[in-house]
Amino acid sequence: MAETPIPLEVRNITKRFGDTDVLKGLSLEARKGDVITLIGASGSGKSTFLRCMNLLEQPDEGELIVHGEAIRFKETKHGREPADWQQVVNMRAKLSMVFQNFNLWAHMTLLENIIEAPVHVLGKPRKEAIEQAHVLLERVGLTERANAYPAQMSGGQQQRGAIARALAMDPEVMLFDEPTSALDPELVGDVLKVMRGLADEGRTMILVTHEMAFARDVSTEVIYLHQGVIEESGPPEAVFGNPRSERLKQFLAPKH
Amino acid sequence: MINLHGYGPRLLEGALITVELAVLSLLLAIVLGLITASAKMSRSRAAHAIGTLYTTIIRGVPDLVLMMLLFFGGQIGINAITDQLYAHFGWDIFINVNEFVAGVITIGLIFGAYMGETFRGAFLAVESGQIEAGRAYGMGPWLVFRRIRFPQMMRHAIPGLSNNWMVLLKTTALVSVIGLSDMVRVAAEASKATREPFTFMIIVAAVYLLIASVSEWGFARLQKRYDVGFGEVK
Repeated sequence: MAETPIPLEVRNITKRFGDTDVLKGLSLEARKGDVITLIGASGSGKSTFLRCMNLLEQPDEGELIVHGEAIRFKETKHGREPADWQQVVNMRAKLSMVFQNFNLWAHMTLLENIIEAPVHVLGKPRKEAIEQAHVLLERVGLTERANAYPAQMSGGQQQRGAIARALAMDPEVMLFDEPTSALDPELVGDVLKVMRGLADEGRTMILVTHEMAFARDVSTEVIYLHQGVIEESGPPEAVFGNPRSERLKQFLAPKH
Repeated sequence: MINLHGYGPRLLEGALITVELAVLSLLLAIVLGLITASAKMSRSRAAHAIGTLYTTIIRGVPDLVLMMLLFFGGQIGINAITDQLYAHFGWDIFINVNEFVAGVITIGLIFGAYMGETFRGAFLAVESGQIEAGRAYGMGPWLVFRRIRFPQMMRHAIPGLSNNWMVLLKTTALVSVIGLSDMVRVAAEASKATREPFTFMIIVAAVYLLIASVSEWGFARLQKRYDVGFGEVK
């Protein structure tokens, strides 16, 4: 049997904003079924790192290899840019992102949001996309809300809808950028429940989160970032149960 | 019953010309406006400079002057070019600037500049997260524009668009100076011939008012259409 390519490999990513080095050479490897959690204080670069993975931010240096295919870059007067945008478009279609602020398209109903990219990016027949959308809506518990507009939904419903939108792409890897940070506390549980289900069924996921209990529970690997450097990483039992670095110990210490 | 002294059919024709002229100019202005807005938001300095030059010139010169400049000046320019073509290649071409086309181009050019500003503001009002989500899901720039930026921008643009349209509609009256037989010119002729300016001008005023009212209704419907999904109570 041929070896299946690794869904996502990131090597030595660096990113500078003005004079500040935000990411100082970060790497990770997401194998099939991995749930990798990025933790760290705000400003540690974890969201920027995640956004570099689908090139919403352009890394200054480093490599991205999606499903065995390396993204090609070129130097321009604006800095380094992808050499072939079509390649980026194809790559992004394999990596679905769930945003902190949901970013469901406001002028479309939830159902339209879910079928939008499958129909217009992947070229899936509309009818098929709608059938699939209904299955996904049931899965995230939003069957009743198919024809609602995002503004008519609660934050928790919007985020579960956004997860359904991400799943509709049948992605290689799902990227979650602080998916529960903008939610009222009582709505966090429903979203985490859906995410836990995805982890259990073997989805490859990379997430940035402040939900430590959740991270400990579902991750296969935890990466602690400090000022743009991987300070410590490993399986959750080791990172949470037996942190070696002083900074990580402080970060994990209960706050008052 | 009002006596039109037989000018009825010509007035109707003139009214049609007014509407055609206004609609075609609007389409041209929208296209130019979208291009100008994109140029002004582009990170290319040259595109930005061209967009700014265009809006500055158009907004700083009176419409009537621009119209005569383009119509009469344009004819001279085209003649100069065709003369050169004849001299160098022996091609014998004669292009006569058609009043209607000249009118559409001039009015389209003028309002393209105003539309550019309207669209620019409207594009900037679209939340960046909406566009980012499109990019993150594998949409290229054109798809993002067509599926997300344009439909979301329109709700911000319609008030300005509708305003520009009303002014544009009334600006079409200026084409009578370049000899186009629009409604105003026909009415002016009829007034002179019959010495009943009030009769003809009140008709012209009523027709403009009618077109304006119908468009206002149309824009209100359009606004409703693009407002769908926004500002609804949870």
